[in-house]
Amino acid sequence: MTSDDAPGGPGTQRRRADDRARVSTRTEVREAIRTEIAADAPTTSEMRVRRENAGMPVIELDHVSLAFDEPVLEEISFAANEGETVVVVGESGTGKSTILKLILRLLVPDKGRVLIDGEDITHLSFEEALKVRQKMGMVFQGAALFDSMTVFENVAYPLREHTDLNEDEIEARVREKLQFVDLDADQVMQMMPAELSGGMRKRVGIARGIANNPELILYDEPTSGLDPLTTGTITRLIMKLQRELGVTSVVVSHDIRSAFRMATKVALLYEHHVVFFGTPEEMAGSDNEYIRDFLGGF
Amino acid sequence: MANVFQRLNDWAKGVVLAIQDYFTLAWNAIRFAFARPFYGSDLVQQMDAIGVGSLGIVLLTGFFTGMVLALQSSVQLKTFGATLYIGRLVSASMIRELGPVLAGLMVAGRVGSGIAAQLGSMKVTEQIDALNTLGTDPIKKLVTPRVLAALIMLPVLTIINDLVGIIGGNVIASAYVGLPTSLYWRTVWEQIAAGGFTFRYIPNDFIQGIAKPFVFGGIISVTACYYGLRTTGGTEGVGQATTRTVVTASVLILVIDYFMTQVMLAVFSE
Repeated sequence: MTSDDAPGGPGTQRRRADDRARVSTRTEVREAIRTEIAADAPTTSEMRVRRENAGMPVIELDHVSLAFDEPVLEEISFAANEGETVVVVGESGTGKSTILKLILRLLVPDKGRVLIDGEDITHLSFEEALKVRQKMGMVFQGAALFDSMTVFENVAYPLREHTDLNEDEIEARVREKLQFVDLDADQVMQMMPAELSGGMRKRVGIARGIANNPELILYDEPTSGLDPLTTGTITRLIMKLQRELGVTSVVVSHDIRSAFRMATKVALLYEHHVVFFGTPEEMAGSDNEYIRDFLGGF
Repeated sequence: MANVFQRLNDWAKGVVLAIQDYFTLAWNAIRFAFARPFYGSDLVQQMDAIGVGSLGIVLLTGFFTGMVLALQSSVQLKTFGATLYIGRLVSASMIRELGPVLAGLMVAGRVGSGIAAQLGSMKVTEQIDALNTLGTDPIKKLVTPRVLAALIMLPVLTIINDLVGIIGGNVIASAYVGLPTSLYWRTVWEQIAAGGFTFRYIPNDFIQGIAKPFVFGGIISVTACYYGLRTTGGTEGVGQATTRTVVTASVLILVIDYFMTQVMLAVFSE
């Protein structure tokens, strides 16, 4: 050990000075980043909205129960915070899609509450529910495109219904959304849904779902019925939406592989109950027998 | 025994509930016609599909019905030497009964089944849910234009049906019976005038003949939308919805026609 390295020696002092310098550089860099971020920061009203929402779940299901002739869902609780993606997995017929219908208020729970942005939507009138739904974009299992309309009209539909955009602005928005989902707008815009392949229909369905720039997007089995290659593409597309638009998403799926790729949190349904709610890592590390079975070889 | 009562009770409740749903749908369809947003282009499109689209079969059925009426009555009337009255018989039958009922049955088969199949497939492919999700009331967007279009177009079709039927009668009367056309049309008018007038100029026969198809238009469109929107169980469900629509609408048309006739005869008989 040289004297330089001894505690309190000249070497140590030099290092401390270096550290101080580094700290001050770091502060400067941070400051610089902060100013840069501030330059394209959201407007004050957007900031306010975000701050109000911060820490509050965008979607929350609070002890929700629903039965038709027999119980479908019992005491379901989970929440999705802003920007998170919650994937609901479970075997077929466990009421996964019903959860989406509850969030959309196409169904009303027998017990419990469904909160969107902190607002309880269970007691809203039909007209009020139509308004709340405008915050949401829904991607249906079979895309559910209106087959009497062209692709353009399908994507433009929510814009024509709920915005005052003129025709040029609508066309620009439709092109933007179609390009976002990697479709050639010029090629597909005038096609009818029946002329599209399964993957393309899904993409147009997603484009229509995001046309109105919704705060939250719901997906019903986005990858079912697609070949492995298209499944990968659609999964990547959903992840791109999360990354670039920062939307909150709820995905219903039985495809555990793509679920793990896109999920911030996973909710596992079993016999009408949520038996697990947590991060994919926690799920993979769980020693619960059913979860291990469900994950199978994955 | 208790089980039988229980099932009877459930069945009766189901029937009452279905009737309630049917009238709620009809009420909402009419109510939404007066509330924004208006789907004008959908209304025009439906009027074209229901009215213009059904013109062919209405012309065909009307013409042949008029001809067969003239033919049958000429045989019967000849035995009394009363072939002069062919025009009266044809016009009375066409305007009061066969015009509205046949147009109604034809439209129930052609348009009712089409509406039920279309809305049914939209239901099973989640397009109805998609409309709801996109913040549109499906009743307003889909049911209201169809009901309004049927209410407007069925009377129009009936008038055309009546006219073509009477012309068909004219063809047979002059070709087989040798009745001069001018005489035929004079007896047609005599029959219409014999029914009396409301507000001096409107023949009572016309009021009867227009009121019926108006009601039938409502029955056909509401029944088709009702079964279409309640479709479950995939393509098989769509088939069932279509069949139920045509059967229910046709039966309702014939039954309600009887009661409307009875009421109108009582009103206009004096």
